[in-house]
Amino acid sequence: MAFSLAVPRSPAEAVRLLADAPPGGAEALAGGTDLLLDIDAGRVAPSRLISLGRLPWRTLRRSGGDLVIGATLPLRDLERDPRLPRDLPGLYRAVRAVGSVALRHRATMGGNIARSSPSSDLLPILLALEARVRLVGPSGPRELPLPELLKGPRETTRVPGELIAAIVVPARRPSAYLWQRVRPSNDISQVGVAVARRERPPYWRVALGGVWPVPARLSSVEAILDSPDPGDIAVELAAQEAARCAPFVTDKRATEAYRRRLVATLLRRALREVTVP
Amino acid sequence: MRTDAPAKVRGRVEYGMDLEAPGMLWGALVPAPVAHGRIVAIDASVARGMAGVRAVVTGADLDRLLPKGGGDPERRLLPTEEVTYRHQPVAVIAADSRAVARAAAAAVRVATEALPSVDDIEEVFPDWPGAEGPGSPQVVAHVHALHGDLDAAFASAELVVSQTFRTSGVAQVALEPHACLASVEDGSYRIRTSTQAPFAVRSDTAEILGLAESRVVVEGSWVGGGFGGKASSLVEPYALVLAIASGRPVKLALTYREEFLLGRSTLPAVVRIDSSLLKGTITGRRVRLLLDAGAMLPGRDFATGYAIGFLAGPYRIEAVELEGYAVRTHKPPFGAHRAPFAAQCAFVAESHMDAIARRAGIDPFDLRLAHAWREGDTTPLGQRVGPFGLREALERAHRQREAWRADGHGSGGIGVACGFWSTGTGAGGEAIVEFARDGLHIIEGEREIGSGSVIRGLVAVVERVTGLPPAAVRVDYRDTRSAPFDSGVFGSRTVGALGQAVEKAVRKGMGTLAARAKVPEVRLAFDGGELWVVTRGHKRSLTSLLTPAERALGHLAIGGRHYGRSGTLEESRVREGEFYAYTDFTASVVLAQAAVDRETGAVRPERVAEFLDVGVALDPEMVRTQMEGGIAMGLGTALTEETLWTSAGRLANPGLLDYRIPTLGDIPPIETVIVEGFPGAGPFGAKGVGEPPIIPVPAAIANAVLDATGAQVTELPLTPERVARALKLL
Repeated sequence: MAFSLAVPRSPAEAVRLLADAPPGGAEALAGGTDLLLDIDAGRVAPSRLISLGRLPWRTLRRSGGDLVIGATLPLRDLERDPRLPRDLPGLYRAVRAVGSVALRHRATMGGNIARSSPSSDLLPILLALEARVRLVGPSGPRELPLPELLKGPRETTRVPGELIAAIVVPARRPSAYLWQRVRPSNDISQVGVAVARRERPPYWRVALGGVWPVPARLSSVEAILDSPDPGDIAVELAAQEAARCAPFVTDKRATEAYRRRLVATLLRRALREVTVP
Repeated sequence: MRTDAPAKVRGRVEYGMDLEAPGMLWGALVPAPVAHGRIVAIDASVARGMAGVRAVVTGADLDRLLPKGGGDPERRLLPTEEVTYRHQPVAVIAADSRAVARAAAAAVRVATEALPSVDDIEEVFPDWPGAEGPGSPQVVAHVHALHGDLDAAFASAELVVSQTFRTSGVAQVALEPHACLASVEDGSYRIRTSTQAPFAVRSDTAEILGLAESRVVVEGSWVGGGFGGKASSLVEPYALVLAIASGRPVKLALTYREEFLLGRSTLPAVVRIDSSLLKGTITGRRVRLLLDAGAMLPGRDFATGYAIGFLAGPYRIEAVELEGYAVRTHKPPFGAHRAPFAAQCAFVAESHMDAIARRAGIDPFDLRLAHAWREGDTTPLGQRVGPFGLREALERAHRQREAWRADGHGSGGIGVACGFWSTGTGAGGEAIVEFARDGLHIIEGEREIGSGSVIRGLVAVVERVTGLPPAAVRVDYRDTRSAPFDSGVFGSRTVGALGQAVEKAVRKGMGTLAARAKVPEVRLAFDGGELWVVTRGHKRSLTSLLTPAERALGHLAIGGRHYGRSGTLEESRVREGEFYAYTDFTASVVLAQAAVDRETGAVRPERVAEFLDVGVALDPEMVRTQMEGGIAMGLGTALTEETLWTSAGRLANPGLLDYRIPTLGDIPPIETVIVEGFPGAGPFGAKGVGEPPIIPVPAAIANAVLDATGAQVTELPLTPERVARALKLL
């Protein structure tokens, strides 16, 4: 597991270093909380790591109605933003669901998206918040809606040399993220349910994690929720519809039957959390 | 503060993982690719040709390397014909670096012809209980005991409660993996290793390799946790064979993945338990156990005949039948884990007690108090119970339950569970105590393993005997060539058994000094950093009472021995197999409050209180830390920890990501209550406290879930999905 480490000072240099490397020869290193495990286990063997630590992306800005989260901002810094719990309660809960405090001092949102884990605690809420992702690459910058970036487990549609620079979400949006785990304090979520409410129709965005190879939105559930303040019947119908969005995976963490149960229960609770003050 | 704490906090102690020697090579193990198979060929030619590889040893090479071609043929270090569990080492490699050793191990081609593997004990006995027989080649042990008229008890019962429980395998999860350094020096085989029992490693290694025991010298390093996993040899014989083959010191350390794949720990079990009840009294109990022994060898099973007694519970019952089978499967051999299998037994027995209480409409405390052993009662195997604090602990727990119900700090159900354990005072040991100018030195082969039993427990015994302050007493560690023999730090025996040897040595030494001073008795004092002998109120220097030879040596060395006996069973009650008598009876009671999410099955412990019969607490702070640690570990067994064995001997979660021990965030507030007044066999009446605290924890949590929901989960651990099934959500 020998590798060299490059520490570029500018995004352009980082892109060039990555683009020039032979395929599979270089990996971008953000917090390293996932990549280093893969290297240690021999699942990947890059000859070079390109550190993103010196790039000007450890930032958090509010601009217009947007919150712009720098790709290499440690999650712990995001979690400590004083406005986050009130402005984006779902995102706040999701960030706090990632690993442990020690891990969040290193882990980043850019890394979490790039690694694209099926059980990511961040992807469902980012999908529900209709996040857009800003990329820089050999052919310049571009911005994509998050679903267009996600391709499969540990796979994105980035071109070689392309890096995630920032994630853009609405600065404020009523939202919730609920998860279930075997061990509450620090574990991979069996199911993660995110909901967010827009000011104008379509009012609701609902997304699931931990149940498919890639976290995704539930458009059929969103269609049922056609009011900003859905009543008990609509909530129940939505919960039942969500459970029908199976097949979900069965793995060592939970069976599909249990995941269906959790999806319905957590969605019911998440919707109530956002609608009941 | 513990004397080892500053150095440990500063990273200045040498653990097994830290061991190094000049010219040292790194070892690596080549794993079997199947759970059960015939070895066709082991092709190590590529590995042998790799740069930096210094030795490759397969089973075929042992004949050449070892006198007599190895020792005990049943325990052959590296198999030549058949592998019996996945990842079983079939060859070992030493190389200049760990990376090269591992790369070379990966380059060895192991060709096997797969044989059918036995994955699950229930597939061996599909119609269990009732249709099994000791005739199956998979049975490594069969025990059967009967006392009283069981048929009459069940025939006249007003209520019969029959239940089946299942428990999962749990791993020790010591922070430090197994690690050792072996070398050949001047015709001696030297092993430095992270172990709970240097003398057991010595005899094991000598036996497995066929070496003269006197030539094998074992020195313990500091130990980063054992929990039973380091109570016998594991990596040492492999490292020593590589040292013999290469002529260089060899370090062998498991990765954490290998800890799970190769470590010996508790394996799954199924228990059927039936009880008969008449007028609120349990009149009969039948227990039938199927225990997964893994690749354990026949005749080496210990758990079945020992643990099965815990399944009947610490209760007076007129008629009891116990029957157990240890069944061989293609998993690593069953091994010790803090109170091996007793927490699982208590989960079965105490869940069953609550099921009876519920069916009979009796308060769980009343049912237990009506049956709890007192001193003088006999066990189902006819063993007499000594001083036993169970009733006292139960009464205090009962008062605590009423206080919890009244204070409203928790919202969940409240469960109680009892456990009992036997301090291993039967396992012998010796101590040498040096009376020196700078104080008393306890000479020991075993390092402190983290529990405090050596560095605080043995020292506390000396403090109690002499009245000296802690600064006057030190533990000095030696290797097995110069340390007195001791069985090891396991079985909660260190203070109870070895402490007796230390106590005897100190008393004998003080007697020697008194004789020399021609007084009936002496006191010891510590002043100005120096040890003084006080005779008839006069303080005199220790040196004045030493012989010239002792003065030259620097101390008076006195030995103490403790070779205890186990209790005795009534042999007429034993129908088949070998049962083990208990020694000291230790009681523990746990009260737990836990909230249950009725829509998801998630269990959240809110608080845990433990009431522990310790005989006498020689160091109450240390006792409490063992209670807290046992509770934390028990919460893992209760809620999150299980080895997930799938098909063909595969382990699905060989790592800390999916083998989930509790983190600090999962542990609720803990109250610890020390119960004294029921003396054990140890110094001043001390009983062992390392293992008993974990025993009732899983049962208490399960009973809290039952109290909260009316649903009983009959399988460990109580993961949210299992609870959801019990709540009929799925």
